[in-house]
Amino acid sequence: MIDGTIFLNWKFFWPFLVGSLLLWGIFVWKEWPQRKERRFWVKLVVSFIGIASLLVMALRPTHQKETLLGRGILLTEGRRPEQLDSLKAIFKRIKTENYVPGKTLVLLETTDSLFVLGHGVEPFDMWQLTDKSISFLGGKAPEGLVDLWYEEALLLGEELSIKVRYANPKTGHWLILKDPGGNGLDSIPLEDSPEQYVELQTKPKASGQFTYSLVEKDAEGSFVGNESLPVIVISREYLHILMVNNFPTFETKYLKNFLAENGHSVLARTQLTKDRFKFEYFNRGVSPIYQFTPKALEGFDLIIMDTDSYLGLGSSSKAALEETIREQGTGLFIQPNASFFKLSQRQSPFQFQLDGRTDITFGEANRNLKKYPYAFQDKFPLQHIILDSVEIAAYMPIEKGKMATSVLQDTYHLILKGKQDLYAKLWTQLLNEVVRQQEVQTQWQALTDVPRKDQPFEFQLRTHLEGPQVETDQGTGIPLLQDFSVSTLWNGTRYPRSTGWNHLQLSTDSLSRFSYYVFDTNERKAVTQKNVLEANIRKFGQHEGFGKAKSSTSKDHVPISSLWFFVPFVLCMGWLWLEPKLFQ
Amino acid sequence: MMGERQLVQFRKRWQRIMYLECLCYALGFGALAYLVSWNALVAVAVFVLSFSVALYFYKPWNLQMESAVAYIDAHVPEAAYSSGLLAMSTEELSDLSKLQQHKVYSQLRTILPKLSPPHKLIISISVMLGLVLIGFAIHYGLKTYGNPLLEPSTERRIQFTPLDTLSSTVKAPELKKTSITVNYPNYTNLTTLKTANPNISAVVGSMVTWILVFEGEVTSIDMERMGDVFALSKVNGQYTLSQKVEASGFYSFNFKDEEGNAYTTDLYSLEAIKDIPPMIEVDELPQYSYFEYDDPKEIPLKVKTTDDFGVDDMYIVATVSKGSGESVKFREETIRFEGTFSKGDKELELRKQLDLHQLGMDPGDELYFYVEALDNKVPNANVSRSETYFAVIRDTVSDGFAVEGTLGVDLMPDYFRSQRQLIIDTEKLIKDHPNLSEYQFKFKSNELGFDQKSLRLKYGQFMGDEAEMQAAPGAVSNMESDDHDHEEGEEDILEGYSHKHDSDNEHNLVPEQEHEEEGGEEAEDPLHEYLHNHDDPEESTLFEKSLKDKLREALNIMWDAELYLRLYEPENSLPYQYKALELIQEIKNSARIYVHRIGFDPPPIKEEKRLTGDIKAITNYDKKEQFEHTMSFASTRQAISRLELLSLGKTTFKETDRALFQEAGNELAKKAVEEPLKYLKVLQGLRDLERVDARTSEKFREVQKSLLSVIDEVEGNPSKKADLQDEINRLYLKELGSYD
Repeated sequence: MIDGTIFLNWKFFWPFLVGSLLLWGIFVWKEWPQRKERRFWVKLVVSFIGIASLLVMALRPTHQKETLLGRGILLTEGRRPEQLDSLKAIFKRIKTENYVPGKTLVLLETTDSLFVLGHGVEPFDMWQLTDKSISFLGGKAPEGLVDLWYEEALLLGEELSIKVRYANPKTGHWLILKDPGGNGLDSIPLEDSPEQYVELQTKPKASGQFTYSLVEKDAEGSFVGNESLPVIVISREYLHILMVNNFPTFETKYLKNFLAENGHSVLARTQLTKDRFKFEYFNRGVSPIYQFTPKALEGFDLIIMDTDSYLGLGSSSKAALEETIREQGTGLFIQPNASFFKLSQRQSPFQFQLDGRTDITFGEANRNLKKYPYAFQDKFPLQHIILDSVEIAAYMPIEKGKMATSVLQDTYHLILKGKQDLYAKLWTQLLNEVVRQQEVQTQWQALTDVPRKDQPFEFQLRTHLEGPQVETDQGTGIPLLQDFSVSTLWNGTRYPRSTGWNHLQLSTDSLSRFSYYVFDTNERKAVTQKNVLEANIRKFGQHEGFGKAKSSTSKDHVPISSLWFFVPFVLCMGWLWLEPKLFQ
Repeated sequence: MMGERQLVQFRKRWQRIMYLECLCYALGFGALAYLVSWNALVAVAVFVLSFSVALYFYKPWNLQMESAVAYIDAHVPEAAYSSGLLAMSTEELSDLSKLQQHKVYSQLRTILPKLSPPHKLIISISVMLGLVLIGFAIHYGLKTYGNPLLEPSTERRIQFTPLDTLSSTVKAPELKKTSITVNYPNYTNLTTLKTANPNISAVVGSMVTWILVFEGEVTSIDMERMGDVFALSKVNGQYTLSQKVEASGFYSFNFKDEEGNAYTTDLYSLEAIKDIPPMIEVDELPQYSYFEYDDPKEIPLKVKTTDDFGVDDMYIVATVSKGSGESVKFREETIRFEGTFSKGDKELELRKQLDLHQLGMDPGDELYFYVEALDNKVPNANVSRSETYFAVIRDTVSDGFAVEGTLGVDLMPDYFRSQRQLIIDTEKLIKDHPNLSEYQFKFKSNELGFDQKSLRLKYGQFMGDEAEMQAAPGAVSNMESDDHDHEEGEEDILEGYSHKHDSDNEHNLVPEQEHEEEGGEEAEDPLHEYLHNHDDPEESTLFEKSLKDKLREALNIMWDAELYLRLYEPENSLPYQYKALELIQEIKNSARIYVHRIGFDPPPIKEEKRLTGDIKAITNYDKKEQFEHTMSFASTRQAISRLELLSLGKTTFKETDRALFQEAGNELAKKAVEEPLKYLKVLQGLRDLERVDARTSEKFREVQKSLLSVIDEVEGNPSKKADLQDEINRLYLKELGSYD
């Protein structure tokens, strides 16, 4: 027991001790004339005891005691009042506490089994509940915009498509997509149903970091809510393209013109006769390619070949081409002809099945195009390329690179019909999937779905750099934790200081800037509630009834009652007061 | 006559007051008219008009002495209803009357001069004041609440605002006088326009001169117009600049004072009005005129031409085509109109009697002509031409139809020829009638009727008519439906009697089997390849309108021809058949197309080089081309991104931003020429950003919003995305396996 005794006011020990000694000294000095008598010594002892009692009272000693912990209720956002009422009816005088994210829970000191009502605790507060017995009872289902999916980073010219899951929508309400300036772009009415999936679309008009917004308005047009949609629009880069043809075709001619006029560097090679070629250099220097070697092909992001050229490749050229695709990630697009669809598996990785359809339509009836009467045969790892929900092409990933082909025929007819925009859209969509990806040193990924001010924002960094150092735009370093099994993967946490755009960057490389958007408390409410609810269910499971929250004991320091010291003090003082009256 | 003078004076007073009232009303209306119209002439006219109207109602000159007497009697008790006596001569009165006259005179002598005649002066004056007030109200009301587009009060003058916050105590130079002179091109005959309104619209080619006079010292003043900067020259303390109007656009002025503070104006529009080409109207002339060889071959041509500034010249361009087939020859000549006309008239009406003989046309020749008119625009006149008209002298000799070898598509199928065959058969039948039995005659006549029907049906297909096949007015119903149902079967029965002239294979050029196949295809739609299939027969574009009418007529005539054949009256049918044949020939001839023969003479091949496979002389071919590619609105898009950062306060306004916004403004200004109203606000917004005090977050947002609203989406253009190739990913992809 003694070992466990500590003084609560230990920090005042020395001033109190000096004071007490001083007091005792004065007392001794006052009684000094009586030093010849025995009562002097008696008084000395009595006064010492009294002052010592006083000192101890001031220092507040404690003793360790084993206590039995009870049950408690943790009230979080979104709880149902009925749940609390029925719990209170069963467990009289049960302790409750309102949960504030980020705060230490006081309730945990006296309880060891908790009922959690509502959506639950934030994932970053869950550590507090370890070793506790938790009954997670859940709460109201979140309402409103519970899910929002969209590509946060896209290329200029790509479509920004926002898919939304809206729980419990109200009839007459509208969702309106607005651009950063506040111009309305797209809107959709909500219907009375338990759940509604909607999709809104726009094409960003400029590159940069923008905040689009999704505004909800009621039937009268008054504002109901606003969700920010941070979007990073990446500016486009020009490509290096090699086009190899055995025979000049209109298809190649128009594609070549389209690419060259759009600023890409294109080298087009057309065979004239045996070993004689026509080379066309658009936006690039003169450097003919006769033989395919890995070195010659290295600089190209994309190689476009017709079927005959592809089949006519010599073994060394073919090996060089494949190596380039594998190692450099270059994309290969094969312009099909009728015989291409009948090639054996040895000659081409693509397999087709006859579908007999020779016409393909994008959206409206007049936006149609001829196609070969074949469809891609699904075969792992074939990936489809889709435009306006119509399959236009497919590619096979080959290590770093891709090999693609299409079933479309004579796409240049679109230009002749005056539909340049559709032609551009088609080839943009197609080639974007096939071209070599630009290799970067670092790649960032946000792990926290909805970053908020003063709450942990977790991110991952993939980099080939040794020992990367991350800092915020204020220059504060962020410690990183390397992944145990993947050496290029690093984890970090940041507590953002402001809402809106925040940035992280490598201290050695300011180009690898990572931007993330920190949301205001009013935004993404339903999404956060849903995330918290799901995280709590994952962590604690959901109990329908009141589970067996078992109790245990805990050792704790309890202050010793001051009465124990007050009584000797009063007795001592009483004696000192009474003694002169008795002995005189 | 005692007292009469006073009575007369009273009457005169009354009259004067009445004149005064009229004048008040007239003045009131006159003032109202002046204040509303701001035109003195109108005001004077209204004044005179209202004065005469008022006089007409009051008629002061018509005031009788009796009225004055009655008024005095009614209002002055002293007159004792006897004031009338004062006007009478003493001699006429009885003694009692004289006594009374004297009494009244003595009473009224003092009262009458003071008596005021009845008047409504107060009312008339208040009406006058009221009208003036209304006039003022309308005048100022129009000014204040007037249509801002009609009366751009703030835009009427050039106004300068400082670009930066002023740093000096020097008084800012002030624009004292603005004078803008628009000199229209000489040919327009428009007088020079002088104005102070900087929003100018002028005819293309006009010379605009700006003269600005400043109070205070000004250094370097220039005009910025669509991205180009022109300095103003100083002449006699005035700054002047002359510019030629070529295209619509915007401009603004900038200057610096002695301290180097920059000032700028708003954007003003400079609208270039294009000279419209002349409009030519040709009165009442059919597009096609046909003449028989013995007709008077004259075409009366009456042409009316109008132009906004004046027509300079007008003439007929005629092309005569002679001959046919490959020997066709063309001759073109210009024909002047009859009479003379004065150049520069805004409206011209000219006539010409075109004589085909004078043009040297013979039967079978064709004339194509159109009218060309030039206006007086310099240096290059606007030229417009009328539609082309055709005149044909019908050929008397050959009207046969042959498909030319140069024609890619044989528009005319063979069965057009069979109407002639039908006529021959019918004539033969009539001739043979006496020798034939009744049954045979009727049978043959009916057969011919069927042939006529199938011919008509085939023509009907040319019209895109399906209805024609199903039901037709006046058809012989029973036989018809039978025929219809068993067409193929009947065809077989007929085989024994006819030579299948109506088939595609008239001359047995191809074996019979093929014919059947072709027939099958034709049943679907023989013209499928050549038609824009719009489903609507009226939309079918195989023939032009007049031809379709003709074909329709021919079909109707064939109905009649068939009817009489079916009634076993081939004699009556024959005239219809001839008529039908004639129409069909016309159709064939007007559908003729002439295509120039293009000759190609291949170079001679050296026999010793042939098929040797020698490609030594062939070299590689290199072609190098550079394309300057910029995205549409590249600077504007960059400006939008920059404005986002500026509005968030992440960066401060830099000098490069100013250049960027100017560049964006120039990009948009090019577009703004077409739709000035849409772009003016955003251009003004961009210009405002040049001023320091306008650089607020709200303003940045506002400009960004308007920029976003005016520019188009980006065009599709492939690009690459950044990606990190992780070792793990690579291993995974490698394991996925390659295909071979």
